Amino acid sequence: MARAVVDWFGFHADYEYEYSSNDAPVSRLRRRSNVNIDAIHDFPVDSEMAPAQLYSTESGRLFHSGKIAIVTVGLPARGKTHVSVALSRYLRWLGVKTRAFHLGDYRRAHMGHGNDVPHDYFFVDASPSSVKLRQTILQKCRFDLYHFLDHEMGQVAIYDAVNPTAEGRKQLSKEFLKHEIQTIFIESYVDDPKIIEQNVRSVKISSPDYQGWNPNDAVQDYIRRMGAKIPHFETMDEHELNYIKMINAGERIIVNNCRFGYLPNRIVFYLMNLHIKSRQTYFARAGASTGEDSYKADGLLCDEGESYSQRLCNALLEHRRKEREEFIKQGGSDEELKPLTVWTSTRRRTVQTAAHLQERGFKVKQRPQMSQMNPGNSEMTEEEFKAHYPADWDKHQLDPYHHRFPRGESYHDLAVRMEPIILELEREKNDLLIIAHESVLRVLYGYLMACSTSDIPSLEFPRNKIVEILPESYNNRAKRIPIPHTDTNGAYVP
Amino acid sequence: MHTFPRSVYSMSNIEDSHICVVMVGLPARGKSLIAQKIVRYLKWLSVNAKSFNVGSYRRADTPHPTADFFDTGNLEGERLRRAAAEAAVNDMLRWFEHEGGHVGILDATNSTRSRRAWIEERCKSKGYDVMFVESKCDDEDLIMNNILEVKTTSPDYVGQDPEVAARDFRDRIRNYEKVYETIDEPHLTYVKLINVSSQVIINQVSNYLQTRIIYFAMNLHITPRSIWLSRHGESEFNVLGKLGGDASLSPRGLAYAEALPGLVKDSVGDKDITLWTSTMKRTIQTAKHLTYPKKQWKALDELDAGVCDGLTYKEIEKKYPEDFRARDDDKYNYRYQGGESYRDVVIRLEPIIMEMERGSDIMVVTHQAILRCIYAYFMNVPQDQSPWMEIPLHTVIKLTPRAYGTQEERFKANIPAVSTFRAKYTSANMGGEAAIFDAERAKLPISGAQANGVITINGDVEAVPQKVGAVSVVGSLGSNGGTLVVE
Repeated sequence: MARAVVDWFGFHADYEYEYSSNDAPVSRLRRRSNVNIDAIHDFPVDSEMAPAQLYSTESGRLFHSGKIAIVTVGLPARGKTHVSVALSRYLRWLGVKTRAFHLGDYRRAHMGHGNDVPHDYFFVDASPSSVKLRQTILQKCRFDLYHFLDHEMGQVAIYDAVNPTAEGRKQLSKEFLKHEIQTIFIESYVDDPKIIEQNVRSVKISSPDYQGWNPNDAVQDYIRRMGAKIPHFETMDEHELNYIKMINAGERIIVNNCRFGYLPNRIVFYLMNLHIKSRQTYFARAGASTGEDSYKADGLLCDEGESYSQRLCNALLEHRRKEREEFIKQGGSDEELKPLTVWTSTRRRTVQTAAHLQERGFKVKQRPQMSQMNPGNSEMTEEEFKAHYPADWDKHQLDPYHHRFPRGESYHDLAVRMEPIILELEREKNDLLIIAHESVLRVLYGYLMACSTSDIPSLEFPRNKIVEILPESYNNRAKRIPIPHTDTNGAYVP
Repeated sequence: MHTFPRSVYSMSNIEDSHICVVMVGLPARGKSLIAQKIVRYLKWLSVNAKSFNVGSYRRADTPHPTADFFDTGNLEGERLRRAAAEAAVNDMLRWFEHEGGHVGILDATNSTRSRRAWIEERCKSKGYDVMFVESKCDDEDLIMNNILEVKTTSPDYVGQDPEVAARDFRDRIRNYEKVYETIDEPHLTYVKLINVSSQVIINQVSNYLQTRIIYFAMNLHITPRSIWLSRHGESEFNVLGKLGGDASLSPRGLAYAEALPGLVKDSVGDKDITLWTSTMKRTIQTAKHLTYPKKQWKALDELDAGVCDGLTYKEIEKKYPEDFRARDDDKYNYRYQGGESYRDVVIRLEPIIMEMERGSDIMVVTHQAILRCIYAYFMNVPQDQSPWMEIPLHTVIKLTPRAYGTQEERFKANIPAVSTFRAKYTSANMGGEAAIFDAERAKLPISGAQANGVITINGDVEAVPQKVGAVSVVGSLGSNGGTLVVE
């Protein structure tokens, strides 16, 4: 089950797969500190604090919220996997030990490559052999889930499956309760055919099965096949169960019986900001400013910075144009690109860097929380600093993520203060270009790619490349778009 | 004019940071309580919020109306009520425009579609977002409880026979029921809290701040309850005048721990309360003799004094004179080197506040700075004052949230302790005269814990403190920024 990371522009791909056992290559992907790969399915080091974690406890659990199983409910192409992955990204960011268990992974692993399950596998009245197969696969998944919660200090296990019947859900909730696990169901319910089609188009028909198909035909075929495969589905209405029903990608949310702890409401808070449509995020540095890069001065763009901002604008628009052409050539629909929104901080350089895009008619919003990390007293060259504050420098080397220079902010402070930005980032439906200081880009990239706190402070964003994050339901993918005639400092290169 | 400090969860977008939160629901559904709490919470997070209570506008003309006034057939009543709503909406719009308001709450029943459409139109015409918050409840006990509460605290029934008031209030509710339409307009942004959030319906939310308000409101309930707050008993570090550390209790602190069960016995009664402590020795030791179920919260640990941990104020003044000064200049934002500021503490208390709102009767034994933040949240104390409040040792503070403010009672144990209070720009706080002064006060005669229970109501809706029973009332700490009264 290789999730090949397409490496377009000089990314290293030195990660390795590690399988839990011979027959279950269940996303046990570990990387060796390769920040170019979304680490949302990695197993983080237990002792490490998460980027926005406020405090840690010996039990590893937080908020007196106990052990929780989040169980997805919904037909295929309703964004269940997307919700599972997005939620575990957010909870981990907060320091809640979370892992997603995708039943589909276990099914595919059990069946082996190219073998589909029997046609009646999802039927309520499936044949005994199919029921047995189902049980075998389920057991394996549950075993891992319990192991995570009981023996690996896990707190939230996300169980990603269809769970189509009320009876099955009641049983599941009972079973979990026996293990002292509270269950919250999250249903993604869609009755707007447009949303389903869009979802199928973006995540389901890119498979080899549909190579060469007309996309519209492929979508219809997929929906028909799923209808035949899972003919029986009951939407959630079980009053005694704890559930969150997201209707039409979050247009309306019904929360039932979720008043039993801090985490359930916090999860609802996150889900209110999540939608299941996919869009691109681009990161770019602001241009260089006049004089030094002083925090206090809040300088304007210098001439070089100004010409960089022009090249950045052109490179991005050119890239988007080409992507669309390529998509149409490969048989994609010729609908217009998603609108592009630009966010900057309120620092003058970032606002000016977006000026060309604003002139071209793109919407630019200033976000005050995206101001760069306050360097405090550390605004001097490395040598000067070492001479003045040797003790602080040593401490900084030990934990550059949490260490804070006198009167300044740490990356951790920045991550906590940017919480509204993280949620707005999830909310945004347009494609999004973020122009900000490197410290801000490090934290936001760290969130989207699930980087560890040891990686975030050293992430690099040279000015000769725009970073693009492509959302895929299983993980995000990063790639870099070169800005022509530009060096890593943003200077013009003929 | 107001000045707006940096926000904790500040507005993420200057352009669309105006939200009009419109309460919806029959009388006695806890609307005012919810509105109050939202204001308090947002202010605590440094978001400029204000509640506009239509009832108080109406009272200007009709201070003590009978139920007939609220009959839909009463044309004059209808006209006056409509005029009150208009005045409230106008004031709110002016407040957005001229006073930097961010979240305005329109506290009224707003129980018909046409009323809601009118409000929506008024706000949208100025470009402000509208979000409706409906409290829907058919739990009879809960409603009855609220009726009892209202008849004793509502300005509409001041000085009236409680029985008559209750009957009249029920008639008033019946008049509203005739025209009540629960919210289900599909295009509106709304949250409907059904039977204290046993079910919540969220519709068409459109920005982060709305989701933050909903998140908070989902944790609220309108069942009566109280919160008991206490600092740990006097610690060995308190006696030495040192900050921070993880010291044990002093002999007098141990005596307080032993006295604590008796001190709270009467006010707790037979309630099922949960006891929270920090993870530090001095709070755990203080709670030792209490037999309630206990939880330890790391988030309740004392403000981290960083490099100053273990020093006295005198030592800090000598070793870090600039910091000492800087801290007093802006104590809320000052962050100890390698440690925390009050602002940092407020962020880390977020789960605590949510859990306190969600829970019922809770006793919290924690530390001075933490209690200042928690107290400031419940009593609406502004940021420039909260870090300077005196929270004395060996005293239990009981807070009871009410529809029109939070009621406070204090119970002082008859056990002397040093004072850890330090006035601005001084380093003298411990031992010596201060300690004697505090010990003197502690010697005041008390017959039973209740005797020194001073009751204060922090009423910020009406901006007028109210009398409760026969106990004298101390000033309001509302947005007008009155003086801070301790005991």
